[in-house]
Amino acid sequence: MNHLLSGMKAWLVQRLSAVYMTIFTVATVITLATVPIAGYQDWLVLMSQPLVAAACALFVIALLLHAWIGIRDVILDYVTNLGIRLLLLSLLGAWLMLLALWSIRILLRVTT
Amino acid sequence: MKFRIYRYNPETDSEAVMQEYILEDITPGMMLRDALLRIKEEQDETLSFRHSCGEGVCGSDAININGHNGLGCITPVSELKEPVDIRPLPGRPVVRDLVVDMSQFYHHYRSVKPYLTVYEPEPEVEYLQSPEDRDKLDGLYECILCGCCTTACPSFWWNPDKFRGPAALLQAARFIEDSRDQATAERLEDLEGPYRMFRCHTIMNCADACPKGLNPTEAIGRIKQRMLKDQS
Repeated sequence: MNHLLSGMKAWLVQRLSAVYMTIFTVATVITLATVPIAGYQDWLVLMSQPLVAAACALFVIALLLHAWIGIRDVILDYVTNLGIRLLLLSLLGAWLMLLALWSIRILLRVTT
Repeated sequence: MKFRIYRYNPETDSEAVMQEYILEDITPGMMLRDALLRIKEEQDETLSFRHSCGEGVCGSDAININGHNGLGCITPVSELKEPVDIRPLPGRPVVRDLVVDMSQFYHHYRSVKPYLTVYEPEPEVEYLQSPEDRDKLDGLYECILCGCCTTACPSFWWNPDKFRGPAALLQAARFIEDSRDQATAERLEDLEGPYRMFRCHTIMNCADACPKGLNPTEAIGRIKQRMLKDQS
């Protein structure tokens, strides 16, 4: 995974994901301020709209990629021992993968 | 005026000490290099430091002055806060006192191939360049290789063996931007990957430290833009 997303590609993905997350955050704040949500049913109606669900899914992907590149950069900078570096990167990868699976499960449950 | 100067001889000393010197009769316009020379001449001839041109051109006397990298020869003593702490450039192996081993710095400089590469037959008279293309080299060619920027860069402290450092990357940008150079693709390809250039996190210590007022961070940004353009 280290070599799949490195150098220019990683740099670009980090910036694009940041731009998307900024737009998503602003859109979310505006949506929450304008759409009245009284309870679970309202949430369900909002989230089951294909556009909202797709935007959320894209946000999760952007967040996970952004986190992977960012935290990996910190590890590459500060952890010089190769064994510990590999261990930390594996733990980070596993944790982000777990979050990805969990997010997919939530989104599928709400949208279907 | 009180100076505290880093003293260390790796062959005989177990650890470095900050030695105090008092210098009287500070003359107006006196530069730090002049002060060091007077200390060496009048008080302690064992004090070691590099210096040569005395006018900010050769880049020999790069040192850490009150925590900030700079050239002794163009730093007025009157502008410094007392006591003046003088140390060698950070992160480099000390040879003696303020003299550091810059081999790795030069290795990275060599690695970016800081010379014009041309594959086509050489022109009969001279290489031509439009004034607009020449202007692109401003802010890049003036580097004197003093090492103030690279040794102030945290990314270089963390990965000095793999990260090229601001000075070498500024030189890389200088030849990538040069309209006469024909190895742009190879130069960009060489800087790909997680370490050589992309360890730069735009901390900008390099621009802050450069005694010539250059901006390696901006030069690195230009290389990234060029890479992006070439890929798309």
